[in-house]
Amino acid sequence: MNALILSAVWGIILMFCSILVKNKKAIGYIAAFGLLTILIGNIAETYGTQITHYNIYPMLLLDRFGLFFNTIAILSVFIFVLLSLIEIRKTGKYEPEFYTLIFFVICGITILTSYQNLLMLFLGIEILSIPLYILTGSDKKNLKSNEASLKYFLMGAFSTGIMLLGIALIYGGTGTFNLQPGTHSVVGTYHGISFLEITGLIILMCAMAFKASVAPFHFWAPDVYDGAPTPVTSFMATIVKVTAFLAFFKLCEVRVTDTLTAVNWKMIFAVMIVATLFIGNITAIFQQSVKRMLAYSSIAQAGFMMYAIFSLNDVAKEGLLYYAMAYSLATIGLFATMSKIKDYSFEGYNGLAKKQPTLAATNAIFLLSLSGIPLTAGFFAKYYMLASVIKTGSYTWLVIVGVCFATISIYYYFRLIQAMYFKTGNPDTIDHEITPFFKNMLIVVAVFIVLLGAFPQLLLNWFYF
Amino acid sequence: MPILQLLSDIPVTGSTTDYAPIALQLFFAIGFIATMLIASGLIGPKRKTADKLENFASGIPSHGDARQPIAIKYFLVAILFVLFDVEVIFFYPYAVNFKGLGWTGFVEVILFTSFFIIGFIYIIKRGALNWEE
Repeated sequence: MNALILSAVWGIILMFCSILVKNKKAIGYIAAFGLLTILIGNIAETYGTQITHYNIYPMLLLDRFGLFFNTIAILSVFIFVLLSLIEIRKTGKYEPEFYTLIFFVICGITILTSYQNLLMLFLGIEILSIPLYILTGSDKKNLKSNEASLKYFLMGAFSTGIMLLGIALIYGGTGTFNLQPGTHSVVGTYHGISFLEITGLIILMCAMAFKASVAPFHFWAPDVYDGAPTPVTSFMATIVKVTAFLAFFKLCEVRVTDTLTAVNWKMIFAVMIVATLFIGNITAIFQQSVKRMLAYSSIAQAGFMMYAIFSLNDVAKEGLLYYAMAYSLATIGLFATMSKIKDYSFEGYNGLAKKQPTLAATNAIFLLSLSGIPLTAGFFAKYYMLASVIKTGSYTWLVIVGVCFATISIYYYFRLIQAMYFKTGNPDTIDHEITPFFKNMLIVVAVFIVLLGAFPQLLLNWFYF
Repeated sequence: MPILQLLSDIPVTGSTTDYAPIALQLFFAIGFIATMLIASGLIGPKRKTADKLENFASGIPSHGDARQPIAIKYFLVAILFVLFDVEVIFFYPYAVNFKGLGWTGFVEVILFTSFFIIGFIYIIKRGALNWEE
C-alpha cells in the first residue's frame, strides 16, 4: 500500500509543480526525490512498516514476491529518470506532467503486482496503459510520435475490450471475479472445467500477450517503440513490459494450474515462445536503425520471459525477478546513450569508442548482457529461464530452440559493438549533454550488471530475507 | 403463448441451455429487422426525388464540408465536461447507500471529492478553460 499511496500523492505533487515551481531545472530532481521516497516506502513495507492498515484483502494482497518486484521496478524507474533528466526536459513542452504520468504508471505497477481479483487486474492494466498513450504522443510537434500514439491507443483500446470480454466469460464460467477460482459447476463442462472459463482464459491471455508484446500480438510494438520519444520507448520497453509479464505470470500461476486437465497450455505457450523468438530475432537482424533493432530485440527478450510463464515453478519465479532487473538495466542504459547520438542508424555509432570511450565501453557491457554472455546479468537471467523449463521435465526441445535463438541474437548485438569499436567514423554526439554525472551513472549501471552476473545470489538472497 | 411457455419451461441449471433464450432473442432480432427491411422495400411506394438523396441534417439543407479543422478549445471543454459529469454519477450509489456505508463511506467520499477538486483546481490554474487565449 505504501508505494501505491505515495506514487499517487507524488503524481499530484508533480502536477502542481507545473504551476508552482518556476525553476525548470528543479522538476527532474523533485521527481527523483519522489521516487526515492516511494522506494524507501516500499522497502519499509517489505519489512512490515505501513502507512495505513486499510483492509484491502479481497482485492489486493501484498506478498513478498510482489513487493520485491515493486522494489526492482521503482529502482529501475529511478535509474531511468536520473539517466534521462535532460531528454525528458527536451521532450515536448510539459515536463512536470511527464513525471506525473510516470508516477501514475507506478500506481498501476503496484496494483498489478498485488492483484487478487480480475477487476483489479483490469484496473491496473488501464492505469498502466492510459498514461503511456499520452507519453507516446508527448512530443507533440513530431508527426511520428503522433502516429505512434494514435496507433498505440487504438490497438490498446481494442485489446482492453478483448480483455474485458475474457474476464466476463471467466465470470460466467466460475461465478467469481477472484483470481482463485471458486467451485466449478458440474454441468456443461469439459473435463470438469466450464467451457466458458476456458474460452475466457484464452481471450484474456490474448490481451495480456498484447500488453507484453508476445507474438502473434506483437505487431504494434516496433512501430510504437520506433515512433515514441526515446525516453518513453526506454520506459515502455523495460519497466512496463516486465510488469505486464509479472501480471501475466500471477494470472497463469493460479488459473493455468487450475485448468490443466482441460487445456494443453504447455503446447500453446511453447508455440507462442517459438513464434516470439523467431519473429523478434530474425527481424532484428535486418534492421538498419538501432532504435528499431532494440524494439525487435525487446520482442525477442519477451520470448525469453515467456519461458517463466511456460514453466510456472519456483525457478521461473526467481528467474522472472532476475530477468526483470537484468533486462531493464541494460536496455535503459542503451536507450539513454542512444538519445545522446543524433543518428540512430548503425552508421551513426561508427567510431564511438574513439570519441566517447566511456559510452562505448558501458554500451558494450549492456549489449553483452542482453545477448547473454557469462559474467553479465543477462547470462544468469537466461540461465534461470531455461533451467525452469528443464525442471518441469518435459519439452526439452524448447530449451534447445532458446539457445539457438540466443546465439542468433549475438549477431545483431555484436554488430553494434563492431560499429563502435572496429569501424572508423565521426559519430554525431550531443557533447554538451554528456555530463560527468551521466557518464558516472552509466558506469554504475554497468558495474551493477557485472556484479549481478558474477554473484547472482546478491539479488535473490535479498528476496528471501 | 407457446414461445413464452418454451422460455419459462427451461430450468436454470447453470449449463449451456440457459443461454437458449438469448440465442432465441438474437434470432428474433435479426429476423425482425431483415423481414421489415425487405418487406418495406417490396411493398412500399417508390418515389425517388433529389431531396430524398440528401444527407439528413435536422431538416436544414446541408452545406460545406464536415471535415474542417475545429479549434481544440471545443474538444477540451467538451472532454472536461464529460469527465466531471461522469464523476458526479459516483455520488448516486453513495446517496442510495448513505446510511449503510456509515462514517467509513463518508471518509471515502470526502477523499474522492478532494481528489476531484484537486483536479479541478489544476485545470483552472493551468488555463484549460481560458477561452480568450
